[in-house]
Amino acid sequence: MAIWVICEEHGDGLRRTTQELAAQARRVAEDGEPVVALAVGACVGRAGWLDGRVHRVVKVAGGGLVPFSADPWVAAVAAVLAEAEPRLVLWGEGTRAREVMPRVAARLGWPAVANALALEAADGGARVLRPVLGGKAYQWVSLGGAPALVAFRPNSFDPEVAADLDTRVEERSAEPCEDRVRVLERTAGDGGRVPLTEAQVVVAGGRGLKDAANLALLEDLADALGGAVGVSRAVVDAGWADHAIQVGKSGKTVSPALYVVAGVSGAVHHTMGMDTAKVVVAINTDPNAPIFKYADYGVVGDALQVLPALAAAVRALGT
Amino acid sequence: MDIAVLVKEVPDLEARVQVVQDGGALDVENKRVLNFFDEIAVAAALQLKEAGGGGRVYAVGAGSGLEAVRRAIAMGADAGFLVDDPAVDGADPLTVARALAAVVRAEGFDLVLAGRQATDDEAGLVGPMVAELLGVPCVVGVTAAEPADGGLVVGREVDGASERLSVPVPAVLTAEKGWVEPRVPQVMGLMKAMKAEIGRRTLADLGVEPVPPLAAAGYHGPRSRPAVRMVEGEPAEAAGELVRILRDEARVL
Ligand SMILES: Cc1cc2nc3c(=O)[nH]c(=O)nc-3n(C[C@H](O)[C@H](O)[C@H](O)COP(=O)(O)OP(=O)(O)OC[C@H]3O[C@@H](n4cnc5c(N)ncnc54)[C@H](O)[C@@H]3O)c2cc1C
Ligand SMILES: Nc1ncnc2c1ncn2[C@@H]1O[C@H](COP(=O)(O)O)[C@@H](O)[C@H]1O
Repeated sequence: MAIWVICEEHGDGLRRTTQELAAQARRVAEDGEPVVALAVGACVGRAGWLDGRVHRVVKVAGGGLVPFSADPWVAAVAAVLAEAEPRLVLWGEGTRAREVMPRVAARLGWPAVANALALEAADGGARVLRPVLGGKAYQWVSLGGAPALVAFRPNSFDPEVAADLDTRVEERSAEPCEDRVRVLERTAGDGGRVPLTEAQVVVAGGRGLKDAANLALLEDLADALGGAVGVSRAVVDAGWADHAIQVGKSGKTVSPALYVVAGVSGAVHHTMGMDTAKVVVAINTDPNAPIFKYADYGVVGDALQVLPALAAAVRALGT
Repeated sequence: MDIAVLVKEVPDLEARVQVVQDGGALDVENKRVLNFFDEIAVAAALQLKEAGGGGRVYAVGAGSGLEAVRRAIAMGADAGFLVDDPAVDGADPLTVARALAAVVRAEGFDLVLAGRQATDDEAGLVGPMVAELLGVPCVVGVTAAEPADGGLVVGREVDGASERLSVPVPAVLTAEKGWVEPRVPQVMGLMKAMKAEIGRRTLADLGVEPVPPLAAAGYHGPRSRPAVRMVEGEPAEAAGELVRILRDEARVL
């Protein structure tokens, strides 16, 4: 048996989540159990980080895999896993896992768990933790010994792992496969910034920011902290920001190390998207705002003044 | 175009949830609703039916989802089906997907719509699983679709980029917020839903063997954060102190 990690690329390397999964796989592997990274498509040329950190890298190149496309990926990943003997296959939550993992699971007849937050070794296999009912409770799920696919939220594990292994690299080519879905148009998003769900720091704002123009204050603090910007639904509904950066029940779920939230009241629909953040700082004019119940640190004050002051203080730290 | 919408009944997000039996079980207040994203899917199906010049919109639920199916009919769906089998509640998503795919295959479809995810497990597994079992393509997180050249042109936002895709039918799409704003059912719809004959199927009828679900190994409540620590002072002063705390105590900077 082995633990497999499905790689994803980012920039000219691997997505941080891939590194987290590889590191955690090493921690929970049984004695002598290998950790294998599966690098498909664009990951093939970006898998350098894995060298020394996993036992084996399986690289799969082939038509249709770059840029990412669901049908060819499903075919390639399922074909490799079908003849491997994985005990666990780890994925990073995101669009790609959402498109590929359930289909691979259905094709192979293996169970799948999405949206997981923790992975531990347990008697007779492993167990994973996942939120249920919008984070009102958390459930441990036992995986047993049969193969299972699990997708984990970004920022669930420490990516540090010793590069002390002799990594074997295997190169394969996938059967040609064309996607049945054709891309007519794709506009690039804001390429520079870290994706919201991946970011170590998220600066979020709500209706308390008063005006679309003031979202620039979030961006400025996010830039100072090297983070991403999120907003509440009220901000999206007001047309100040795109739904793509909404945090909450009907938006994105984030688990950053630091979540700074200004001018957001703290409705459960919002907090269920950020409650697994490690440290939360809330800024609100109302000392009784519910958001303070979800915060570690609070400032009662005007976001329009506190946000720029914070950005200045962070920048002062760097100089 | 015949459109099947997969509808799941889930606990209302306002429902009280309590961990009981020392973490052995979950007690959830019995307040149930049609999954938020499935409501969008039903509304989108009705819009597509109009745009595509007819066909049938039918709702399919699995498990204790009778009210969800009725809700979809009240919103305007033409018919409803329920996989009504004790083995479906708490079943593995793959069992649910196999059952739903079997109903849809038997009823006939050009398009299947599911929600992006269910608000109880936030998994987003069942829609794409159904696509794979039916052998048709799948696009997740759809925010627009219109009939074109016998297929569909579909729009969505992914990772900050927007895409327009040409999708052949049959296909499965999962509905994301922003596609259609669902409307509250009218009295006429509610009456029709109450009287509607819901077609019931068991796993045996459908020839589906349940796969054993993964075992739940305990629950716990949300991590309770220690009481918030307020940082006082004028903005500049408070900001300076906060940054010091974040660096030296919380160690996140
Ligand atoms: C089905 C459903 C799904 C939903 N999904 C989501 C979701 O995904 N994400 C989401 O966020 N919401 C969601 N909501 C909406 C949610 O219930 C709240 O309505 C929303 O989060 C409120 O946004 P807000 O906090 O920005 O605005 P408000 O509730 O209006 O709060 C504004 C806050 O700003 C404070 N404030 C005012 N002026 C200032 C100032 N100068 N400086 C600092 N603070 C100030 C006020 O004290 C107040 O606390 C959903 C609702 C429903 C019903
Ligand atoms: N029991 C069910 N009955 C009908 N549809 C379901 C069921 N479970 C899941 N679905 C569909 O699959 C989507 C994703 O659900 P999930 O995989 O549970 O997040 C839902 O939005 C529904 O469209």
